[in-house]
Amino acid sequence: MNTIPRRKGPRRGLLGTLALAASLSLVLAGCGGGEPNAEGQATEAAATVGEPQTGGDLTVLLDAGFAGGWSTGLDPATSNTVGANMPQNSAIFGGLFTLEADENGENAEIVPNQAESYEFSEDGLTLTVKLREGITFSDGSPLNADAVVWNWIRALSSGSTGTPQLDLDLTREMPELDQQFLDDLYAALPEDVDQAVIEQRLGAVQAVDDLTVEIHFSVANGAFVNAMPSTSLNFVGSPTAYQELGADQYSQAPVAAGPFTVDANRLSERLELTRNEDYFRDGLPYLDELSFQSVAGDQVLYQTLQAGQGDAIEGLSSVTLIEQAQENPNLTTTLGAPTSPYVIQLNTRKAPFDDKKAREAIYYATDFEAINEGLFGGQGDMSQSFTASGGLFHQQEVEGYRTYDPEKARELVEEIGGLTVELGTTDIVTARQVTTALQTQWQDAGIDVTIDSKPLGDVITKFTSGEWESMLQTAGAWEPAAGIGVAVRFGSTSPFSGTPLPEGAETATQALEENLNTELDEVLTNAASTVDQEERGDLYKQAAKMISDEAYGPFGMAFSPAQVVRKGVHGPGLTTPIPALVVNSGVLYDRVWVEQ
Amino acid sequence: MTDTAVHPHAARPDGTKPPGRQGRGVTQGAGSGSPLLRLFGRRLLMTIPLLLAISVLVFVLLEMMPGDPARNQAGMDASEEQVEAVRQRMGLDRPAPERYFGWLFGLFRGDLGQSSVSGQPVADMIADRAPVTLELVVLAFVVSLGIAIPVALMAARKPGGLFDRATMVVAMTMLAVPNFVLAMLLVLVFAITLQMLPAIGFVPLEDGLVPNLRSVAMPVLALAVPLAAFYTRFLRGDLVEQMNSADYVDTARSKGVRPGLVLWLHAFRNSSFGLLTIVGLNIGTLVGGTVIIEQIFAMPGMGMMMLEGAMSQDVAVVQMCVFIFAAVAVLANLVVDLMYAVLDPRIRYGSH
Repeated sequence: MNTIPRRKGPRRGLLGTLALAASLSLVLAGCGGGEPNAEGQATEAAATVGEPQTGGDLTVLLDAGFAGGWSTGLDPATSNTVGANMPQNSAIFGGLFTLEADENGENAEIVPNQAESYEFSEDGLTLTVKLREGITFSDGSPLNADAVVWNWIRALSSGSTGTPQLDLDLTREMPELDQQFLDDLYAALPEDVDQAVIEQRLGAVQAVDDLTVEIHFSVANGAFVNAMPSTSLNFVGSPTAYQELGADQYSQAPVAAGPFTVDANRLSERLELTRNEDYFRDGLPYLDELSFQSVAGDQVLYQTLQAGQGDAIEGLSSVTLIEQAQENPNLTTTLGAPTSPYVIQLNTRKAPFDDKKAREAIYYATDFEAINEGLFGGQGDMSQSFTASGGLFHQQEVEGYRTYDPEKARELVEEIGGLTVELGTTDIVTARQVTTALQTQWQDAGIDVTIDSKPLGDVITKFTSGEWESMLQTAGAWEPAAGIGVAVRFGSTSPFSGTPLPEGAETATQALEENLNTELDEVLTNAASTVDQEERGDLYKQAAKMISDEAYGPFGMAFSPAQVVRKGVHGPGLTTPIPALVVNSGVLYDRVWVEQ
Repeated sequence: MTDTAVHPHAARPDGTKPPGRQGRGVTQGAGSGSPLLRLFGRRLLMTIPLLLAISVLVFVLLEMMPGDPARNQAGMDASEEQVEAVRQRMGLDRPAPERYFGWLFGLFRGDLGQSSVSGQPVADMIADRAPVTLELVVLAFVVSLGIAIPVALMAARKPGGLFDRATMVVAMTMLAVPNFVLAMLLVLVFAITLQMLPAIGFVPLEDGLVPNLRSVAMPVLALAVPLAAFYTRFLRGDLVEQMNSADYVDTARSKGVRPGLVLWLHAFRNSSFGLLTIVGLNIGTLVGGTVIIEQIFAMPGMGMMMLEGAMSQDVAVVQMCVFIFAAVAVLANLVVDLMYAVLDPRIRYGSH
């Protein structure tokens, strides 16, 4: 059941053991840091890698606190962890689209996978997705347009938090649909579903022919396809299997058309998969078996890999352990292409940051370069806006951005008669370390700082209450309009933003109800809804300038968790970087292989 | 221990009849007069309000946990609509008293409820996971006592001797090391360096005794070693005190009984009362220890289930876990009381 095979691994001598024990105690004491590692990203791309080999098995270790938690099951329509469970979902469902990149992580782009192509109408209000011909689910039923519509309507109507918020055109009439299709669909929806709403959605999402699906928006959505790979809409399962298995069993072992099929699933513990013999790509997947093992925390993840009970860690984030892994000759460490930089959000809606000078003082007092060197061994990627180098529309520098100048900071603090600040953050080791460093820097500039480090739940509550002054968070994603993107941090109506409310609005709710917007909101909305990517780039450039000019929050380094694999394991997203769509990279498991 | 009012060293409790063959309590006590059964019944009845009080406390604590569990589940980028859907699915849209009493009445009907996160029946989850935790706890006790008793006996033979001093140093060190640190050091030595034992995972007994024991060896050691250190120090101190001050020891010595036999046959039997009390009181600590240890070793037991439940504020799951853990602690203490009767026939439970 839970037998986890051991692999032959290298034995470590006594000195090595002592060294590890010493580093272990460092990690346990919460003291990160260590010598900067000049190697930066370990790249396998530079090394000679032979031809992929078929066969073998792979055990991937996932952090129980994130990707390794799938307690709400694996049905994308009802799971609350679709984005976090990218590894499992990519392996089982494959996906209509994938995010792929060059071997060095550059030039990332959305690639049709089970889809053959996609096209926006000129007005950007209709997206047409064409599916590849001949793809079947592993139960033999076809992955066709009806199956996509069935999956999308379920995803939109079953309360999954993995479904993006869409402005669908709900005015279109529902086409004539086969009664059996409708019966099957309603049987798979929650009991209290509103039939009128479903019919409106069936008007907006339509199968045009056997292999073509159209989705109609009321507002153009330029980010829809870019964001899709991490959402439930990307993962299409077999309606026939759902009818046969029922909701519970389907959620345990969904049947789809991805490279692997489910063998055994213990929720949030271990998932065992076997090669899908009917996979649509010839010769793939390379692996015979793939397992995901949930493990608690970075230290245990790393130890388990060293003990030979796993072949790969997806998303190791402890800097100390990443440095250890980089020095271990038996492991290959690949840092992902960073997309989400740290940002110090400043709440302009209350004192002290309702005063622009106070916000400017924070910009001048903050030296993220030094923090990057001291805490991240220089491996972080510096940014002056909301996407890092791995993300779309990245800008290395923003014109007029206020860089570190403690003298100016001191002058401003004096000018406003002193500055006392509470700096909040999520209670994780790295974030605490960064806030402590910031506290020291700000105190040097004459700013009194108290740190309020709390679990995520409390941070969310604090944001929504509006009773916060400054918050260290991360902003952005590969696609700035997706996930916890720029609008979540800087849109005036977002509960997680501290930018000024639109004129005439007392609260964000009022602004939403009365459709009031700030200038920045409009730029961000236009950037998200424009299909022309060049135009989007210009709009995001404008947005970055506005954030910088108004000093809404300084940006820092972006740091991407590392993929650590034992030598002999290769594959896109594991040993070559792929930017994280939201938090984790989408590993292309059909192309992962192990040296036999 | 309320009914017995027995001090661990109460070799001669007041008001009891002198010991004799007829007074070999348990059989007699369990007979027609049934003071033991009465005690057992009364204790069981007492556990009901206790468990109810615990369930209220756990519920209130979970309610007081900061943050919105539905928002936590849904994530930061979820819309209000999605958060509300999650809230409904978790049953959090109902008022707290309704949720609590719904759960409680379900319990009386034998329905342990469903996980508000995964939707799985809690009874199935417990049936699946209890054997893992039970095996860890039982083995940890066996191992800790298996280490503590012989070591304490040897140390007490020559107080202040080399062996005594050495065991004291080791025991104090082990007491100072938290069990999760010990767990990681064990992994470092036995899984990574020596590659003898698996670092994580549980192999059920039906897959073979040896693989099963190999999979639980390190978690059991991580739980048992600090306990063994504690028991060793306690038992050794008690034995030395008995050997130095108790009259019956002098009597036995004056009769020419060898010191080793006095220690084993007389002093240890008396000291075992104290040890039993400590063991009973430690059940809660040990079960609590499984929460962290199961997490570190990826053991699919109740400790891990409770932690996951607490993190996601899954009331039905946490309530049942705490309920079971509390019941185990209460019952263990009851068993300890009963063991007094077995060990000391002079004790009359329920006698006035």
